[in-house]
Amino acid sequence: MSSAPRYFWPLLIIVALVQSAALFKLVYDKDRLLKTGHEITMPVKPLDPRDLFRGDYVTLGYDVSTLNTSNTPEGRLAELRMGSAAFVTLTPKADGGWMVKDVAPAFPSPVAPGDIVLKGRVGNAWAQANGSEKTVSVRYGIETYFVPEGTGPVLETQVRDHKIEAIVAVGGDGTAALKGLVVDGERHVDPPLL
Amino acid sequence: MWAPYKKRLTRDLDRWRQNGWVSEEGRAAILADVEMSGREFSLPSALGILASVLFGFAAISFVAAHWEEMPRLARLLLLLATIWAGYSVAGWLMALGHRAFADAAILFSVAMFGASIMLISQMYNISGDPTDGVLMWWIGALFAGILLRSNPALALALVLVCVWSGMQTLERNEVHWPFLIGWAAVSAAFVWQRWHPGLHLSALALSLFVVSLGYLLDNGHQHALVAILGLVAAGAAIAAEKAAPGYEHVAAPILAYAVAIAFAGLYALQFFEDPSLGTLVALAALTLILLLAAISYALSTGNRGVLWLGYIGFSLEILSVYWKTVGSILNTSLFFLVAALLVAGLAYMAFHLAQRGQGREATA
Repeated sequence: MSSAPRYFWPLLIIVALVQSAALFKLVYDKDRLLKTGHEITMPVKPLDPRDLFRGDYVTLGYDVSTLNTSNTPEGRLAELRMGSAAFVTLTPKADGGWMVKDVAPAFPSPVAPGDIVLKGRVGNAWAQANGSEKTVSVRYGIETYFVPEGTGPVLETQVRDHKIEAIVAVGGDGTAALKGLVVDGERHVDPPLL
Repeated sequence: MWAPYKKRLTRDLDRWRQNGWVSEEGRAAILADVEMSGREFSLPSALGILASVLFGFAAISFVAAHWEEMPRLARLLLLLATIWAGYSVAGWLMALGHRAFADAAILFSVAMFGASIMLISQMYNISGDPTDGVLMWWIGALFAGILLRSNPALALALVLVCVWSGMQTLERNEVHWPFLIGWAAVSAAFVWQRWHPGLHLSALALSLFVVSLGYLLDNGHQHALVAILGLVAAGAAIAAEKAAPGYEHVAAPILAYAVAIAFAGLYALQFFEDPSLGTLVALAALTLILLLAAISYALSTGNRGVLWLGYIGFSLEILSVYWKTVGSILNTSLFFLVAALLVAGLAYMAFHLAQRGQGREATA
């Protein structure tokens, strides 16, 4: 019980190296996505201010966060189940901004030039009482923006009184990362780490 | 070892010594052996683990408090430094021969690995899939636990597998089968380490998983499956106990978990499913008979876990049937009469068994 197992030091170093490498990979992947991902901006929907600041992060809602028959043209919503992946194809609108072109449970194979595919996860899916309209809520991993401690209330009034847009980097596989915010036309983006 | 056992053993040994059954050397050797085998639960190692948890909280709150003033690269390096510091301390303590304290330091580093995953996620505003972070954490904990043969790290890995699976289940509202992969991996490590408390943790986790099947499969109406799985496992444990008497120490705890699973399934069938009165009475009778059988089997084999489960299950069953039927067709006094008859039967059976046990002792 008192003697150390053989090779304990080398094994310790291996464990520390592997765990460090895993963390580095996490940082590297995100940094790469932010740097090389296709950048789009999407307006942030005004949310109930009471729900907006829980601790030191802002919860952001988008038009594409809730998909229903009125904003999703093709009738593929029925294929989406709670907890399953959702690939949302966005196409540029004539007046700027993005609109939903298609929703699919798998990555759509031909993506038209100019279109963007966002990968999300279905949080909830429910049908209207008459059964005609189905609504699906989708999370893309870009719904939380962490803010420095104490700056919450300032941002809160800005969200209410000003126009806020989110800058989102989208990777080739549809993974989205929140890059920063545009507040009244002014970009707030953290510089990349590496 | 646990204090009550040691106290009782000391008392018994004194008596055996007086009767001349045990020599003075034998008494001292037995007590020394008990003292030795109890090492893994000693106060110093428990305090060491608690200290490592506190060190972890101190490190995380230090990093969080200085988060904003620090450049982001410095944050990352600081996190990595805490992980490396923990492993270095572990190596130093191990070289000094303090295995338990080294385990505490390893646990600290594994905890900091998880904290790093969360803080990096926050740095990149990642909110989408916190379950991916927990997945990475339990794999890291399992890796450290196996390579460094650290039981606390393995225990944390199993807890994290449960957290990971629980989050997935809540998110999708369906059975998260990959749980079994994580569970099997950590349990295999426990077997390899021959760490009994860890195996109990494994059995507990698997039992909870099996019981959860009843609430998740088929819109939450598969409690019959849970009850059957529990009964089959109980039957297998009893058969194993009979067939391989050398493995009683394995079969006996498995029987306890199986009884708990079967009772959980039967209980849900009766009280969460809203059966007809006839079905309820039949199921209640079946449950009580099975519990009595479990109690009598536990008495005859000295299985304390099953015995207590039987008593607790019996009381719970009786109370629940009472709540369910009070004011309905089954009248309260009749109900108590039935319960009293059952308990009286149990008392008679216990008396009978005790007599038989004494008879065996007398003839031996």
